[in-house]
Formats: sequence, structure tokens, C-alpha cells
Amino acid sequence: MHIPDGYLGPQTYAALDVAIIPIWVIASTRIKKTLKAKQVPLMALAAAFSFVIMMFNVPVVGGSTGHAVGAVLIAILLGPWAACISVSIALVVQALVFGDGGITAIGANCVNMAIIMPFVGYYVYRLVAGDRPGHGRRITAAGIAAYVGIVTAAIAAGVEFGLQPLLAHTASGQALYSPYPLSVAVPAMAFEHLLFFGPVEAVVTMGIVAVLARQDSALLRMKPAAKPLRWLWAAFACLVLLTPIGTLAQGTAWGEWGAQQIKATLGYIPAGLEKAGGLWTSAMPDYAPSFIANPLVGYLVAAVLGSALVIGVTWAVGRLLARNNDDSAPTVPPTDAA
Amino acid sequence: MIPALAHISDAAPRKRSGPRSLARRTADAIGHAVAEVLENDELASSAGLMQSLDPRIKLVSVLVFSVVASFVHSLPMLLVLIVATMALAAASRVSVASFARKVWSSAGFFGLLLSAPAATAWITPGEILVSLGPLSITAPGLVIATRLIARVAVGAGFGLLVVWTTRWTDLLRALSAMGVSDLVVATLAMTQKQIMSLLRTVENMHLARESRMLSGGTARDNRGWVIERMAFVARRSMKTADDVYDAMLSRGFSGAMPSLVDLHATTRDLAWVIASVAACVLALGVDRMVFPV
Repeated sequence: MHIPDGYLGPQTYAALDVAIIPIWVIASTRIKKTLKAKQVPLMALAAAFSFVIMMFNVPVVGGSTGHAVGAVLIAILLGPWAACISVSIALVVQALVFGDGGITAIGANCVNMAIIMPFVGYYVYRLVAGDRPGHGRRITAAGIAAYVGIVTAAIAAGVEFGLQPLLAHTASGQALYSPYPLSVAVPAMAFEHLLFFGPVEAVVTMGIVAVLARQDSALLRMKPAAKPLRWLWAAFACLVLLTPIGTLAQGTAWGEWGAQQIKATLGYIPAGLEKAGGLWTSAMPDYAPSFIANPLVGYLVAAVLGSALVIGVTWAVGRLLARNNDDSAPTVPPTDAA
Repeated sequence: MIPALAHISDAAPRKRSGPRSLARRTADAIGHAVAEVLENDELASSAGLMQSLDPRIKLVSVLVFSVVASFVHSLPMLLVLIVATMALAAASRVSVASFARKVWSSAGFFGLLLSAPAATAWITPGEILVSLGPLSITAPGLVIATRLIARVAVGAGFGLLVVWTTRWTDLLRALSAMGVSDLVVATLAMTQKQIMSLLRTVENMHLARESRMLSGGTARDNRGWVIERMAFVARRSMKTADDVYDAMLSRGFSGAMPSLVDLHATTRDLAWVIASVAACVLALGVDRMVFPV
């Protein structure tokens, strides 16, 4: 996921390079309040750990190997702000010492792997684990968090790539940087992380959390969730309100063509597709509730209803896991590490 | 001089028929990375053009070169910039062959893989040059893919020039002089040291496992072992952070970071700045006026 120089145009890398600075300042301030002078060696070691974890080859299916990023694991251990700083430092060292990742793209790489991944992963972990997680629930939460974190970061990288043909092209429409439109870049990045890197990240994070919970559970202490979750809900509400922007995009997302679009492209509808196409009729096809005439409002309502459904299912699964956990599992005392 | 320790993994104590085990492959990769950093430091200490520059000026100028390169769109000018990176490498007493191999084996190769689909009619419709069924290569597609590869190679070349001609301590001094907070610089300095230390630990773990095993082991066993070792490294990192902090306190650390700024620009640096500005203006001027896209 390390973006080298050359793939992103100046509009994108400059914006992300500038955007990362205030976030680093906020993260440093937050860490200073909690970790004080101890932060230097702790951040250095966390950054070194973040770097080293990427050097481990993890065996996966078919004799191949993959590696984990570890940003969500560090967020679980130290909190998301500390993870932001330590993963950023690891990325800067990778770029300047090992030549891995571009110099102009440092901001983009940090946004994806040092902000989006640890923050999304951390809050998913908090959401699924709850305040008093038992052993099994904690491990499950870590796996889900790592998976969601890395896939979200990959989609963000896909969006950055996919914006390039729109932002910078010649008069004849030739892309000047990454040439793949959103309809190709986002699915490409999402699929490889959904199918390959996401499971690797999840298995590694679950495994390490399981070992730490068994050997040194003090490392997995968490801060009470009230305040950070308020921020999560606020950010989530903003995202839901911004969903109508999606209606501005032209065409259909890559790989999500309907039968008629496939017919227009190929000249026929594959028999299996035609047969299976009518098996299920969705309640809100194309995110357009039939009872709302305005497409923008309809898109927004679909986003609210869909999000509520996902949250409801997640909450129900969380309750189920909590019920199955041993009630006598040791509780985790609060700490200021985040 | 590179310490003999850096070559442990290259010693290859015994040869086995068949593919190397996972432990051996990982140990070799880590050993190679460590040796490369030490070699870079040695290279950065030699007497070449880029090594003789004030690190602040070098860092800023390479950053400016990278930004200017991102504004260059014509293929001829991008090729000129690729040649320029190699010329700078040669002037810095870096083997041009090694430099080119490094740039093209990593950034160039992956750039080629990633840009190849863009050359086809599937992504970029246009005049077909070579017909390969549904994957016909088009003229505009070929231009787009070549431009992307050239751009990535230029960026990687400039990045590698910094990595190969600047000692880590000089880079930290440059960052400090450029206003980066001493706290961040100190953290960066400590991070690099701890990375090397942890890499050595991880390499030794893998070598020890390799030496104890008669076969490569199953994927499940290896996965379990790798995860267990990662957890060990996590615990050790946290423990070492406490130890380092205690050591800092015992040496009188009061929270203030020592400044690393001790740099003086010379007339050579001034000449370099003038030449760099002229080169950037020339590159952008030629790109826009002679080869407009």
C-alpha cells in the first residue's frame, strides 16, 4: 500500500501533505498529555515495532506469504493517536532510509496507513469489544478491526488513485498520473485487500492479541469509551450527510453492471446471469427508496437506513458474543494510554 | 567499513536441496535490509558531489526536484530527468549500474506491472498499435503507461539519491535545522536505532528456528510460530521503551532535547542552489514550450 512518487498529481499529494501536519500536531498534543516525557522512547519503539512487523513473512494459502501492517494492533495497544505518530514515523523512516514509498507521497501514505487504518480499526475494536471484553470477544474484535481497518485504508488509496484521471489530464483526456478511474482503482484495491491482505492482517492481529492476552494482558488495557465514541458518532454522521455526493459520479461502479448494461457491452446476457438475476428483488434498488421522489434525499435516506441496519446487526452480534463470554473474565482497568 | 556482523545471513552455513525455508528466507531478507542500510551509510560517507552538500540544501533541493518532476508531463523531458538522476549518481561516486538496477528492479518493475493495463484498449481507447484480442495496445495507452513508468522512475531516482548520499545523522541534523521539533528528531533518531536492534533480534529468531528444524514445517506451524514471535517483539518493544526511558533518566534527562543544528553552507552549496534553480526553470520551460502535451 506504500504509494511511490509519480502516481499522485501535485493537487493530491500537496493537499494530503498539508492535511497531515495539523493531525500530527493534534496527535503530539494528545500524546504529551498522557505519556509525557516517556513518549520519546515509547513512540520510537512503537515505530520500530511497526516497521519490524512488516518484515515478518506470514504463511498463507498455497505456499505464498504476506505481511501485516500492524497499525490497528498498535492502536489497540497504545491508542489511535499514539499509533498515528508511531506509524507515521515508521513510514518516514521507510521512505528516507529504505527508499520504500515516495517522498512527495509521504502525506498520502500517512493519511492511509497512519490515520485511516488505526482510527477506523481502533473504533471498530471499541465498538465490537465493548468496555469489558472477555477473551474471545477481544480476539474477535481485534480481527474484525484489523480487517475493516486495512480494507478502509486500501479503499482510501484506491480513491486517491482513482481521482487522478479526473484531476489531471491532457486536452485530449489522457491521464497524466495514475491512469485508472475510480471505477477501476477502488475495486482493484478493495478486492485484493478483501480477499488477501485483509485476512492476513486479521489473522496476525488476532493471533498477537490472543498471545498477549494470555501472557501479558496489562498491555491490552483500554480507556473508557464514552468520549472517543462521541467523536466516532459525529464523524459517522458527517459521512452519512455527505453520501449524496455519490450521485455526482457518472456511470456504474466497475463490476456492478446490471443485465442490460452487460448486454449493451457484450451484446448478450450470459444465461446463468439471466437465470440468477431475478432470484432476489431488493427493497431499495439503486439506493432509491420508491417512496421518495427526490434522488438526493432518497440517497441520503438509503444511507441512513443502511447504516442503521449495519449498526443494528453489529450491536446484536456484539450482544450475542458478550452473552457467550465467561462472565467471570477479568475486567480491564482504565488507563490513559490512548 | 561494514561490520562482519552485517553479513551473518549471507554466510549460508549449509546448503539444502530444494527451496529455502520460510525462516531462512525471512532471515536473509532482514539480513539484506540491515546490510543495505550499513552500505548506504558507507556510501554516504564517500567524497562525491551530493555527499559534499549541506544536508539541508540537499534535502530541500531533492524535494524541489521531485515536485518539479511531478509537473513535467512530456516523455522527452521525463527521460532527460531519468538521465539527470543517473548523472547525479555518477557525480556522487555511486555505481550507475547499481543505481539503475535498484531504481528499475523496484519502482520501475512495479510501475511496469501497474501501468501495463493502462496501455490496453480496455482502459485507454484509441488507435490500436498491436492487437491482442481484447487486450489490444493503443497509442494513447502506450503514452500514458510509458509516462507513468518514467515518472515513477524519476521519483524513485531522486529518493534513492537522498538515501544513498546522506548519512542518517546528517538527515536528522537537516530536519532539525529546518525547524522540525527536537522531540520529533530525537524520536526519529531513536526509531532508526531500535529498528536495527529489533531487526537483528528477529533475524536471530529466524536463524535459530532454521537451525533447529529438519524440514520447513507446515504452514500452520509456521504461522503459529510467526505470530508468537510477533507478540514477543511487541512485548519486548514495550519493555525496552521503559528501559530506555529509565536509562535516559539515569543519565540526567530532564525533558529537554539537545539541538543537533551545526551546519554551515559554503560557496559550493550556493552554486548548487543556483544551478538547481536554473535546471528546474529550464526543465519546466522546455516541457511547456518545446514539448507541450
